[in-house]
Amino acid sequence: MKYVHCFSRYHRFISSSAGTGVRSGSFMEGIRSGILIAGFATLVAGTFSGFLAGCSRPREPVEQVPEDVLIMAAYTVPKDVYQERIIPQFQKIWKDRTGHNLRIEQSYAGSGAQARAIAGGFEADIAALSLEGDIDRIAEAGLLSPDWKTRPGGPFITRSVVVIGVREGNPLNIRDWSDLTGETVELICPNPKTSGGAQWCINAIVAAGMSAPGGSREAAHDLLKSIVRRIKVMDKGARGSMTTYEQGIGNAILTYENEALLRIRQGKPFPYIVPPTTMLIENPVAVVTANAEKHGVSDLAEAFVTYLYSLEAQRAFAEYGFRPVHAQIMAEFAGQYPIPEHLRTVDDLGGWDRIGTDIYGIDGLWPLVNQEIWKEK
Amino acid sequence: MILRITRPQSHVTSPGRIGLRSAGAGYILVLVVLPILAITWEAFRKGPGAILADLARPEALYSLRLTFILAFAMILINSVMGTLTAWVLVRYRFPGKALINALIDLPFAIPTVVTGLMLVVLYGPASAMGSFLNRHGVEVIYAKPGIVLALLFVTLPFVVRAVQPVLMAMDTEMEEAAASLGAGRWTIFRRILFPSMTPAILTGAAQAFSKALGEFGSVVIVAGNIPMRTQVAPVYIYGEIESYNTSGALAVSLVLLAGSFAVLILLNLARRFGRCGDA
Repeated sequence: MKYVHCFSRYHRFISSSAGTGVRSGSFMEGIRSGILIAGFATLVAGTFSGFLAGCSRPREPVEQVPEDVLIMAAYTVPKDVYQERIIPQFQKIWKDRTGHNLRIEQSYAGSGAQARAIAGGFEADIAALSLEGDIDRIAEAGLLSPDWKTRPGGPFITRSVVVIGVREGNPLNIRDWSDLTGETVELICPNPKTSGGAQWCINAIVAAGMSAPGGSREAAHDLLKSIVRRIKVMDKGARGSMTTYEQGIGNAILTYENEALLRIRQGKPFPYIVPPTTMLIENPVAVVTANAEKHGVSDLAEAFVTYLYSLEAQRAFAEYGFRPVHAQIMAEFAGQYPIPEHLRTVDDLGGWDRIGTDIYGIDGLWPLVNQEIWKEK
Repeated sequence: MILRITRPQSHVTSPGRIGLRSAGAGYILVLVVLPILAITWEAFRKGPGAILADLARPEALYSLRLTFILAFAMILINSVMGTLTAWVLVRYRFPGKALINALIDLPFAIPTVVTGLMLVVLYGPASAMGSFLNRHGVEVIYAKPGIVLALLFVTLPFVVRAVQPVLMAMDTEMEEAAASLGAGRWTIFRRILFPSMTPAILTGAAQAFSKALGEFGSVVIVAGNIPMRTQVAPVYIYGEIESYNTSGALAVSLVLLAGSFAVLILLNLARRFGRCGDA
């Protein structure tokens, strides 16, 4: 199947480029561009013949470079850094190490959707997702060992923190979570039910409420309730929220530091504050061992994942707005990534299972708070 | 003879006919019946008690209530406005009529996400129109009126397209006869026009209702999606799927499915009943 697909794609490309020449301009121009196009087509055909040979089975004994293929399923947010830095760099390393060309087939979608797809039969060799729990889903489907977290260096390759985006000049003077409870605040926040990643934002509020002086579950409940009351739009995911906010809607947004830094990297002004108490976000990666073994690329997959922890890859992540897990690179970027006073982790909230029941379960804080707000009306 | 040709419900069984019939039935079976059975089976796997428990969650109940209220509103509004539109398009001549007639089908052709986006661009708080409305205390987008607008947009064609052919096929002779016998316009409408349009209106309204129950793409963009405020059932279902609560999603799906089915059957019965009363 793959071979046919490869061939037809280039075949179509060549024939369509030849077709353009025939249609364009006067007769002479037509001939001239026809020649040009023909030359171009030959060039293209020549360039891709190596590629073609890589895809299809060798018919003639042409000198050819073997090609390895790795399938990667990632969540959408780190797409740029993978495509612009990590993957090209690793392809070079792989070529140097083995002499093989490396093609990485990449799929980017929501973290939960990727986990479901892989568990349902999408044969990705690598899962680079946003939430630990999503990889656990894949492990539950029996596609990788349940102790995938025991990798040297830890299961996580990047970090981030929950931040509050504010409007230019911070007119509402938002410094901490409690500043989001005022009457004038119109908050944008992704829906933690439709976006697993958005749970970080709600978790951060709960963590702040619990760890404030005299903090308790009640305090967390009250803080969450008075902030949720100010939420104006809950988009499906973090990116959707950002789009809404950039349309000028709302005057504060709950998002992740890497999203904010991405905006700034793109040259857009995006003032944000890191609250004194916030949530440490950790993004996992894993080799989907069953698939990698099936495709015979276990070594390649392991090498790729190991590379993600390297200084070079960690620096690339850091430049693209993700907090590196490597201490040395983190120190290099200390100015960009201030350490909040109280950085809470998932474990501080009792782990994902506890969060699932205590916050999002049937009697959890999240449904409770929404019901109470509804009853007030 | 002619009757037999136009209504070929022959009971003569030839191999060809049997083949054709099973092809038709099999097509519906594979495309519609099997998926519905699958989801019903899956939903009931944990037993009816589990379904009820999933449905008893306040967010689920609220989203279902909101969705059904809006869908019933679509029946009412579309029945009136759709009939009116069809009437104008059939009975009146005006410049640009052909264009307007063509525009009616546009909501079917536009991706629903784009529908949502168009409404946000036009009425969103960041737009001129939206900020004008906001100043006067009217919230459209990220509030319930926005959902109503989106649903009206996506359900517009149903009643219009159902009623139009009926009106076109209708002879004006009966109306003229009634008028010549001294019937007023209201009487003519009530006794002649309305009864012949009713089955078509009901068909269109039932389709609009079902569409409104299931609409996701446009609503998720305009609604704001806050649980127990602006979250409709399809968005709730999506959220439960995303948070790995498949059974909760299935339970609510089942209610939508049953509601849609019930209304389609009810309106079909009403149509039949209406036809009998007609004769």
